[in-house]
Amino acid sequence: MQFWALIVDSFRESIDRKIFWVLVGVTALVALAMLSVGFHGDSVSLFFGMWSTETERFNPLMDYGRANLVGFVVYLLANTVMGWIGITLMIIATAGAFPAFMERGALDVVLAKPISRPRLFLYKYLATMVFVVLQGAFFFGLTFLIMGLRWGVWVPGYLFCIVLLVLLFSYLYCVSVLVAVKTRSSVAAILLTLLAWVAFALIHQAPVVFDEFPELKERRTLYTAVRVASWIPPKTGDFPYLAARWSRAGASIDAVPFFDTATASDLDREDLDRARKVEEREISKSQLYSIGSSLLFEIVIVLWAMWIFARKDY
Amino acid sequence: MVGITEMTNWAVDLIDVRKTYAKTIQALRGVNIQVGRGEIFGLLGPNGAGKTTLVKIMMTVVRPNNAFGTLLGRPLGHRGKLARIGYLPEAHRFPRYLTGERLLHYYAALAKVPRSRRKDTADDLLNRVGMAEWAGMRIDKYSKGMLQRLGIAQALMNDPELVVLDEPTDGLDPVGRRDVRELLLELKRDGRTVFLNSHLLSELEMVCDRVAILVDGLVARQGTLDELTEETVEYRITCATDAGTVKDKVKALGASVDANLLTLPGHDTARVNAAIDVLRGAGLVIESVQPHRFSLEDILVQVLKDQSTTGPPTPMARPVQ
Repeated sequence: MQFWALIVDSFRESIDRKIFWVLVGVTALVALAMLSVGFHGDSVSLFFGMWSTETERFNPLMDYGRANLVGFVVYLLANTVMGWIGITLMIIATAGAFPAFMERGALDVVLAKPISRPRLFLYKYLATMVFVVLQGAFFFGLTFLIMGLRWGVWVPGYLFCIVLLVLLFSYLYCVSVLVAVKTRSSVAAILLTLLAWVAFALIHQAPVVFDEFPELKERRTLYTAVRVASWIPPKTGDFPYLAARWSRAGASIDAVPFFDTATASDLDREDLDRARKVEEREISKSQLYSIGSSLLFEIVIVLWAMWIFARKDY
Repeated sequence: MVGITEMTNWAVDLIDVRKTYAKTIQALRGVNIQVGRGEIFGLLGPNGAGKTTLVKIMMTVVRPNNAFGTLLGRPLGHRGKLARIGYLPEAHRFPRYLTGERLLHYYAALAKVPRSRRKDTADDLLNRVGMAEWAGMRIDKYSKGMLQRLGIAQALMNDPELVVLDEPTDGLDPVGRRDVRELLLELKRDGRTVFLNSHLLSELEMVCDRVAILVDGLVARQGTLDELTEETVEYRITCATDAGTVKDKVKALGASVDANLLTLPGHDTARVNAAIDVLRGAGLVIESVQPHRFSLEDILVQVLKDQSTTGPPTPMARPVQ
């Protein structure tokens, strides 16, 4: 009853925020853009037929083109639009949830209800993610339907992107909540979360840099330290690889190329080989390690934030 | 530390409640307060006396450094019992995106009020606080008085045995304040206990059965209004002309003279008659003799004066029930 009340409240709080509707607008624009693309024979039309060209590269009527198309969509929509722009907007949109919840006079009434502080914190934490679930479900659900109904390409695995998006967001949201309960400032929560996101990516990518330069790799202590450090933070950089893998897992087509293939032709041969090497290594990584270690990080941060929340005076 | 004490029949039984902020600021220094079931109890004191801290400790919003005692027979901080307590905090901030009615449902759900009961209770309370007409309006459109009325309604949504109200008439106009007073008396008639924290002493005087005066983190006085005002009666004798001529004579009786007004503290009628004799003996015409009982405000001022001359009060012993 209490959890449901907090979920409903979070939903109402979400739709009251302008940024919620900005994200809905972004989804609508993406949907419109996708709808404007049509495939007829060996030609692709854009802007509802105002412009068309003959190409096999992204034509779903060809196996090769269909695979490219799905790979491109996963890369562009899951990784760029939702993975970067969407997540950034969601961090901004949800950063104020805990500071507002913890305002003097606001939390007093809630704390006086028959619910323990740790439970209240956890319920609120999970309830705030309703925002992301809603946005993710709307975005990926709508684009999934457009791909299927308009282009004839059904990729059930693409819907796993909703789960991945919520996971990626939660890795960052725990940092936002920790900062929020400590400072009660949504601005601090936004800035430090974005900073943490960059830091996670850098720490995660550091071993790759070492692998590329043998002279660095020879410094064993440093190399070991970098590798160990890379295990700790959430693996936010794995999002596009997991999205590609999971999309393929449920796809109705034989193979979905990994996202880099879509832009590979722009790279020279050497860069392409390097990109492929990195990609192959990333994709071959254990999903359990990627998600498990990230969730472990999140659990530790959430427990820390919960401890602060439970011991504060309001 | 919150300890478990013996179960009592007090609705509120607070023993040795202490709170220190930032390791140096002693907000509460061993408060003992007892409130009987079905009473309206008023907590008063100057700003910074620790009233709101005490209320917040009762409602588990602030964690005490030390506190024993019970609320409704359960140890302080007992979560389950909070379902039977209604609370209106001072300077509350409700979610602005909710309507009045939704707010009541939201807090009722958090208080574990069954869904089947919420609608009727909300409708009834919105009527009782005069907010039925605006129940569907968003809270950010409400005036301060409307928010206060809604706040009182939310404190009653769980049909509480104990209602803790921190400045319930804050922001209300005179009519609103009268409505709240009537509501408080109605709650009392229903057998509920009301714990009231208000700086409006005249209001406390009108509705409270018992009060406690908190000064500098300690209870300076506690009791019924009669008990508190018993020792603070004075007689005021008004003369037709200046009574300065008998100043020294009446001073021996403990009276003071200010122009044509003679004030005699206490309720010793023999001394009053002696003072009258002195006045009449001096040929002064007496216009009136009036016993004057101190108001809560007078008592509070007196307590504060005592504090400034003799230092902070000492902790009061816990009364026997």
